[in-house]
Amino acid sequence: MSDLRNMPIRVLIVDDHPVVLAGLTSMLGTQTGIEVVGSACGGEEALEMLRVRQADLLLLDLRMPGMSGIDTLHALKRAKINIRVIILTSFETDEDIYRAVQAGAQGYLLKDAPQSDMIDAIQAVHAGKRYFPRHIAARLAERMMRTNLTARELEVLQMLARGLTNKQIGSALDISDNTVRNHVNSIIEKLEVSDRTEAATTAIHRGIIEVHS
Amino acid sequence: MRPMPSRRRRLLVGLMLGLLLVLAFIGLRAYLRSPSRGLPYGDSFAKGSADEWKAFGGTWELVNGVMRNDSDERGAKLLTGSPFWHNYSIEADVYLLGISGDAGLVIRSSDEEEGVNSYSGYYAGIRTHDNTLVLGRAEHGWMEVNKQSPTLGSVRPFQWYHLKLLAFDCQIVASVTAPSQTTPTSLGITDQDCIRSGRVGLRSYSSGGIWRNVVVHSLTNENMVEVLRSPAGHRPSELINTAVQPMELAEPRLALRHETETAGANASVRSIESLHLASFAQPEIVTIRGVVVLTTPMLFVQDSTGGVYIPQPTAPLLKVGDEVEVKGEVHPSDFSPTMQHASVQILWERAPVPPVAVTASQASTGKYDATFIEVHGRLVAKEHGPDNTLILDLDEGPQSFRAIMNPGRGDYLFRRLKLNSSLRLRGICVVDPAFTNNLTSFVLLLRSNEDLEVLAGPPWWSAEHVIVIVVAALLLALVFNFVYHRIAHWRLQGVLEERQRLAHEMHDTLAQSFAGIGFQLQAIRNRIPGDNPVVLQQLDLASNLVRHSHEEARRSIATLRPESLESEDLLSALEHCARRMVEGGSVQVVAETEGDQRSVPLRITDALYRIGQEAIANAVRHANPTVLTIRLQYGENMACLQIEDDGAGFVQGNGLSGFGIRGMRRRAQSISAKFQIESTPVKGTRIQICAPLPPRVTLTNWPKLFWRYTREHWIDVRPSKHADSRSYRR
Repeated sequence: MSDLRNMPIRVLIVDDHPVVLAGLTSMLGTQTGIEVVGSACGGEEALEMLRVRQADLLLLDLRMPGMSGIDTLHALKRAKINIRVIILTSFETDEDIYRAVQAGAQGYLLKDAPQSDMIDAIQAVHAGKRYFPRHIAARLAERMMRTNLTARELEVLQMLARGLTNKQIGSALDISDNTVRNHVNSIIEKLEVSDRTEAATTAIHRGIIEVHS
Repeated sequence: MRPMPSRRRRLLVGLMLGLLLVLAFIGLRAYLRSPSRGLPYGDSFAKGSADEWKAFGGTWELVNGVMRNDSDERGAKLLTGSPFWHNYSIEADVYLLGISGDAGLVIRSSDEEEGVNSYSGYYAGIRTHDNTLVLGRAEHGWMEVNKQSPTLGSVRPFQWYHLKLLAFDCQIVASVTAPSQTTPTSLGITDQDCIRSGRVGLRSYSSGGIWRNVVVHSLTNENMVEVLRSPAGHRPSELINTAVQPMELAEPRLALRHETETAGANASVRSIESLHLASFAQPEIVTIRGVVVLTTPMLFVQDSTGGVYIPQPTAPLLKVGDEVEVKGEVHPSDFSPTMQHASVQILWERAPVPPVAVTASQASTGKYDATFIEVHGRLVAKEHGPDNTLILDLDEGPQSFRAIMNPGRGDYLFRRLKLNSSLRLRGICVVDPAFTNNLTSFVLLLRSNEDLEVLAGPPWWSAEHVIVIVVAALLLALVFNFVYHRIAHWRLQGVLEERQRLAHEMHDTLAQSFAGIGFQLQAIRNRIPGDNPVVLQQLDLASNLVRHSHEEARRSIATLRPESLESEDLLSALEHCARRMVEGGSVQVVAETEGDQRSVPLRITDALYRIGQEAIANAVRHANPTVLTIRLQYGENMACLQIEDDGAGFVQGNGLSGFGIRGMRRRAQSISAKFQIESTPVKGTRIQICAPLPPRVTLTNWPKLFWRYTREHWIDVRPSKHADSRSYRR
């Protein structure tokens, strides 16, 4: 509807459960403005299909044998396939949501969501917006804020973001620079970043730390 | 996949260890049974040590660096070495102490006991009464060959002979070199069906003896040939069928004694007891007859009436058991007389007198002064006295006494004696203050360490042992506790793994099917035209039911996931769940706990969690409350969960909420919990579940619990519940 040329939204469904595939295809097939262009029962098959078929939106299950939903998202990125993705799953752990968003999903829906929510989500994401139900958004925000960094690591991170060297941090905290290096490595690992600079920017970006100039 | 290699590795390591153990055992056994272990051997008598020797009879003692047996016992033996020694030689210097007996060496001995020929082995010795070198085989019986020789001459006591005894396969050769001679006299036998191996020993028969420079060498065929080739050597073939003659030596000696006894009968001999009557003022010269009971450190002679102490006598070399005549000056003392300036004359040799068995109290009266006695006692202390003597302090009941041992062969035994052991001691009772120092009522002078016998070790319940036991019990309890918790942990781990597997299973089947069916129902509903309200309504209900089931399945999965209940307790898990559900809304969640928090079985925790989840979901979804209270109460044997809201409330038995409540009730029943629901429209809803907990085992109540358990399971097989149901049936 939001489409100017009134073209239906072409949806590809990826789920390893045939019951879900069948149900979704039937349900979305009854909706005007949505066209189910195919269904795949795994990440590989979906990637295959996308090479030959045009689709605007992917409804992607998270847990699948072999290539998982997150893997598929990464593979899409690598194959430079530009497609909008809504995660459709029966799971809602903080980590699932967080990782899916990190991997580039624009929406997140539970499989027991009412039909109207699902249509809304598809339309919103197709229109270039993001769609997260209220409680999922709240948990996502919480997960983004929360870090599993220790108090000492947070201290180190603060100083790191101010541009201090390991030695300086060590003397400020009265610990050896070897210990500081261990802390920094642990921070890099926990934040899933590649170096200390990225650790600082990610931390500021996520609001884990605040930097006062 | 992964555990297989590690299990195989463990098996391999176990097998290797087992193999190593077996090899070590075989090696150790081979070493212990080696026919040359400990060879060559040389004695250390000169250093005053003879710990490795074991006596069978006799009064073996180390005196001035030589091994000495002062007893005339027939067949006194002292043995050492390995029972597996096979081809070897033993040599030593031998010195006879008696005029009618023999002394020598034993080879390949085993199966020894006290007694004349109570061993299996070969013996070679020098014998005085027929001036021979004698060689024979003892096997609880005696067969011998003997030989006189000009180079040996007449065998005399009190001089050193060098004796050598060799055994190679079944050839046994003995040779002796007389003093001031260089040519040995040899004698050999080839014994078919010979004794193959055994220890070495020193042995004397009817005479005391002294031994020194005992050396044992292993032997090769060349050595043997060399010995046989020597000019004085013999050719064994000559001796193969040498007739052996049984010997009995006691007869001539008895005759000797008889003669002497009759000869001395008319001398004016006094009994020792009568010496008590001797005058203090005028020392009287008397003659007594008696048996020597102790020679070192001082001479004691005893007859049937009592004992006498003879300081610095003029005497030949005396042995315990010698019958002597003593002539000297009597000096009576409080208990027993002493005889000074005495001259001692040996009448004949006889077996040592047996001790008189007395109690320590009897000995302390002084009646048995200077007499050979046997007493029992408990070892209180041990110490080294002057001149390296070994002193034992003992007591028997209230009576304490002291025993003095000579050093040398006694050292080893002395070191091993444990305090509080019960001992039997034989020795000369002395009440002279010179020995007792007025500290004990009497002192026992032991002749050798064969006079001391350990009857029983110290009582087992010593403080040391009790401490060891307590420590061991504590350690054991710790280990048990550790193992118990390990096992409990493993079990829990197994349970959690199984639950995770189940969660995955449910996720992949149930939840997905519900989702698919839900979508399908929705599709049907989408296609039905709007003029059929009944069908639409039923389809909506079906959709709702599917969604509810899906939600339930999802919740089941969440509960089954190990991290849900492992990391947090029940209350915080529920609070977490509630906060998640009301996220973004204005509902206030209050969580509180009452009573002592305690561990609750997983089964009950699960059920409470699921009921709580359902109740919270209902409240949040339908009641629209402002405050939601989660309360967990722990009682003595009860855990109660309360979910209370101040929302809309409902009329019970209505539609979907009824469905949810029935689910909760069923779940409560599964853990025998009491389920209560109170709901007033507008005012709110309160749900309470009280689950019985298994009784807690504490320090104070475990006997009660144990009794109850025993009674219910073993004594009263019909618990009261059964009785109730019967009365209902009526």
